[in-house]
Amino acid sequence: MIWQFDFIILALALICAVASISLKDLLSAAIVFGAYSFVMCLLWTEMGAVDVAFTEAAVGAGVSTVFFLAAVLHTSRQVKPRRHGRFFYKFIGAAAALAIGGVLLAASADFPTWGDPASPASIHVSPHYIINTIPDTAVPNVVTSVLADYRGFDTMFETSVIFVAGLAVLAILGRFGRRTRDEAPAEFAAVPVAGQSPIIQAACRIMVPFMQLFALYVLAHGHHSPGGGFQGGVILAASFILIAISYDLRAMIGRLRERWNMVFASLGVMIYAGTGALCLLLGANFLDYSVLHRILPATSPIMARSHGMLAVEVGVCFTVMAVMVLIYVNIASHGKSDKGL
Amino acid sequence: MAMAEIFAKYNYWIYITLMMIGLYAMIAKGNLAKKIIGMSIFQTAIIVFYVSIGAKKGGATIPIIAHGHEGAEHVVRAIDYVNPLPHVLMLTAIVVGVATLGVALAIAMSIYERYGSMEEEEILERIRE
Repeated sequence: MIWQFDFIILALALICAVASISLKDLLSAAIVFGAYSFVMCLLWTEMGAVDVAFTEAAVGAGVSTVFFLAAVLHTSRQVKPRRHGRFFYKFIGAAAALAIGGVLLAASADFPTWGDPASPASIHVSPHYIINTIPDTAVPNVVTSVLADYRGFDTMFETSVIFVAGLAVLAILGRFGRRTRDEAPAEFAAVPVAGQSPIIQAACRIMVPFMQLFALYVLAHGHHSPGGGFQGGVILAASFILIAISYDLRAMIGRLRERWNMVFASLGVMIYAGTGALCLLLGANFLDYSVLHRILPATSPIMARSHGMLAVEVGVCFTVMAVMVLIYVNIASHGKSDKGL
Repeated sequence: MAMAEIFAKYNYWIYITLMMIGLYAMIAKGNLAKKIIGMSIFQTAIIVFYVSIGAKKGGATIPIIAHGHEGAEHVVRAIDYVNPLPHVLMLTAIVVGVATLGVALAIAMSIYERYGSMEEEEILERIRE
């Protein structure tokens, strides 16, 4: 950790946070908020949290900014000042923030110093995982082994939450049965539909296959390097969103039909829970992958845990990819799945 | 307070300030999109707090264990790697956060469709009418 660098990043984070809540134009606020996420991503890299930084770079600086832009373009762009009680709300907000902030500031005296190797969080449980991850699971990336194996139950429900969030967006914005069936999705390979300039379209068309290949690499190589199902899924979704932005939404839906997208979303959760259930069937605990060596050829119980993790990461990747695409489709087209932005 | 002591903990003060900015925006701002941005800032403040608790100064590296090929044995010491547990918790929190952000934006868009405004004040007026 380099203190000058920390200081600059933290100062930039504060500036971006203040700017994004005080800008009157919501489009600018959304862009500044994307910059804020990117600054956070730098901060996490600085603290050695590479997996978190990777996720934030794909999610915060990428996909969530696009969600914001899509939502703002469908609603109003300008913030109107309050007509009544402006000072009242400012006072209430400031009072609540100062009260809670004051309590926390008072408590911060008891926090461990920043980067203290002997902080309570770092000396009790976590050494066990760092020391045992290779003997137990043969996975050098501790974040992956804790995510998909030691705390696999937790991650299964996180994946379910993402799935449910996708369903919720569909339930809120989706227009079931009201869509006219005559507008068939345009083919991607056909003459470019109305959208951005041909230069952007050609550039995106070259980029998309590489993005998808990279996403698969991130997914498959998450055991040995930063990455895994969450990051791979978000990058895959970003590649589809890129098609939707550079061509139009129908071009993307032509590639990834909504029905298939829903199948992928539920398939992901099913792969995860199914891997767990398979362990149950083989006589071990739920999500205890070591028992899978009985059905996988030429594996030891240790390597079986590594392979089991890959299976659930694939499940996570499917769900995350499908839900991100689903949310984008619904926000960008206001639930109509037509041309989009 | 000594200078060294301030430097040891100023990061927490910045996280708390970020959290206050987020909370203030959620209460004081009238625009729904601004409230959602405030909520996201609040969320990142908590995430960054967790991650910084796992940071280790003095040569600790990223939590990917150095390992040789063909079973070369290394003595793994926990002090050499930053604490991975906060990373795991926060990684999933970020992705769940963007999914719930999608839900929040979807609700805001339905409100806009129904009441024709993103401003809290105007929405309340139209609900009362």
